[in-house]
Amino acid sequence: MCWMCDEFGDPEHGNGLWYLNPKNYARNMYKLRAPGEGFKGAEAGLETGARSGPSQLDLLNAIENNDRAEYDRITGIMTARGQGSQIVPLDDADRVLELCSPIGLIACICRKGIRAIDERNEHEYTCMGMGVGMLKWERWPERYKGGVAFVNIDEAKEWNHEMDRRGFVHILMLFGAPFIGGFCQCDYPDCGAIRNAVDFGLGSLKGHYVAMVDYDKCNGCGICAQRCQWGALKFEVTTEKANVDIFKCYGCGLCATGCPRGAIKMEPRSNVPAVAEVWT
Amino acid sequence: MTYGLKMGRKFPKITVDLEKCTVPFLCKRCLQACPMGCFHVTRVMAKEERLKEMDPRIDGNYILFATRRDKCTGCNICIDVCPVDAITIEMPKQERTRPKVQGEQWGQ
Repeated sequence: MCWMCDEFGDPEHGNGLWYLNPKNYARNMYKLRAPGEGFKGAEAGLETGARSGPSQLDLLNAIENNDRAEYDRITGIMTARGQGSQIVPLDDADRVLELCSPIGLIACICRKGIRAIDERNEHEYTCMGMGVGMLKWERWPERYKGGVAFVNIDEAKEWNHEMDRRGFVHILMLFGAPFIGGFCQCDYPDCGAIRNAVDFGLGSLKGHYVAMVDYDKCNGCGICAQRCQWGALKFEVTTEKANVDIFKCYGCGLCATGCPRGAIKMEPRSNVPAVAEVWT
Repeated sequence: MTYGLKMGRKFPKITVDLEKCTVPFLCKRCLQACPMGCFHVTRVMAKEERLKEMDPRIDGNYILFATRRDKCTGCNICIDVCPVDAITIEMPKQERTRPKVQGEQWGQ
């Protein structure tokens, strides 16, 4: 249970986890406007959706100039913007998909920018958007030429399971906390969310679980270690078992779903005292 | 924080000669070959019409630049794969620092 759960969770739903509160997927959360207010954000013009303020490039400049004060100032602003994403393991992802509508598969813009991958149809899409904002993809096809493939809940879960099998990390994207509007399938280094988290410790809320390996069940196959995108899990030669650095674990659960013996359990973060309040 | 982001470290200067660079979206070589993911291809904002997405395959719509210079190791794989020699990398001088050896303070 994190501070997001305190503020935006509902004890009646999803064990109080903030991202399992149906309210956070509700239509009226999307770009809240007071009565009489005009359109804001993307409806007012897509360029208005862009964030102002310092960028990563400014952060890199501060590092090169050895300007610690500037570095702290920029990371302070970026942190104050609020967390932009939340890592969830597969089981929770299934439950998330039961709460939102419509659900549309779309092209990933991160992969497009960093690896020049142009996804054009539902067999290639590696990103998912949820909520009324997705209707933009239908409404403005000239703006979203990659297209959209709307799916029902079962299809969405099946797609997500396939993404999990391939090794993508599931990260919920926020568009003005606590409204959840997207499901990123993350991969280092071609995904913005995972890069910001690993390189700078910015942007993403760690998962509400940490991986724990059952040494009795682990046979040392090493599949889990291949799947970890965070550098938290490795095969330890001496013990011939998978070894998790819990401080580095982001609770994405890829290790657990990859384990052929079910030897890894996703333990609620709050049960492990040293990381119970470590969310970034 | 990794060594790559040590405060005060001077990052390599990566220049992409945009005259030589063809259509980054069709070529893709440096974008996909760089093990650290330093490059980025993005649309030319000045050319973009409101509510219209540009075709990345058309020359001039998207440009290439190196965004994560902090990640560049100077491995030069991008330079090797570029078919038009558009990339130049200026590595800062790597200093060899000598740490204190135990016992030195007693003149051993």
